[in-house]
Amino acid sequence: MSLDPHSIPVAYGPSARENGHDAAESREPAAQARAYHTPLIDIHECPDGLVLVADLPGATDENVSIQLEDNVLSMHARVSAPAPEGARVLHEEYRPVDFYRSFILSDEVERSKISAELKNGVLRLQLPKAERAKTRRIEIKS
Amino acid sequence: MNGQAWQRRWDPFREFQREVGRLFETLEPLQTWRQARQYPLVNLYDAGDRYVLTAPVPGMGPDELDLSITGETLTLRGERKRSDGVADESYRRQERFAGRWTRTVTLPDRVESTQVTASYAQGVLTITLPKAESARPRQIAVTGGV
Repeated sequence: MSLDPHSIPVAYGPSARENGHDAAESREPAAQARAYHTPLIDIHECPDGLVLVADLPGATDENVSIQLEDNVLSMHARVSAPAPEGARVLHEEYRPVDFYRSFILSDEVERSKISAELKNGVLRLQLPKAERAKTRRIEIKS
Repeated sequence: MNGQAWQRRWDPFREFQREVGRLFETLEPLQTWRQARQYPLVNLYDAGDRYVLTAPVPGMGPDELDLSITGETLTLRGERKRSDGVADESYRRQERFAGRWTRTVTLPDRVESTQVTASYAQGVLTITLPKAESARPRQIAVTGGV
């Protein structure tokens, strides 16, 4: 178990996935092929832009993918079964289902500078503000 | 003592939701509403000589989790803090749980409380509870007869 945050590459453009999905699949493989959960998220502003935080318990950096296509940012996390092999279920409140959620980004976000990291099942996406969208102080000349 | 009936409250939505969930795959408004009542969710498994409990509690440090066991009662406690230095008014959306939580689980049978172990990885807490010797299934040899 590592407590260091891991950075996750953000894939740009269609079908840039590397984790076993073939190119024939559309933009929402998780949505079509399997049941999925919508992860709970927080979004807050910071001086440089927006921060999106998503709960993805059980996800490792190898099976989280983030993709930006046009103005749609999508996150997908593949989660494996928490149960030990051959164990019998006595009580089940959640099922190990993949996470999937997509967002529409505004033009204010600097697309090329999005970064992501995963730590303890929490994904943190930094969405920096585009230069032209930043608040600028205007000096008043006397 | 029977695992089947263990801790299962009467819940008319359970089977319904499972069926509907299969048809529509995701029924989030209902699910989110139902899940909001308790945190964290737990699964319990019988792995032969031990019970295994799993609970998704993302965003915690292992030292922020407090587990205790008394007899057959397991208590999970923790507190998840909001991101440091973020003012309330800067949130545009807030769905994730924050604050103190406690969850108490009654186990279906006795366990060796001194040998309970817990691990935390990828935001999922896994507790392994070896069954007490007397609670394990035992093969009984039949003697006599011709």
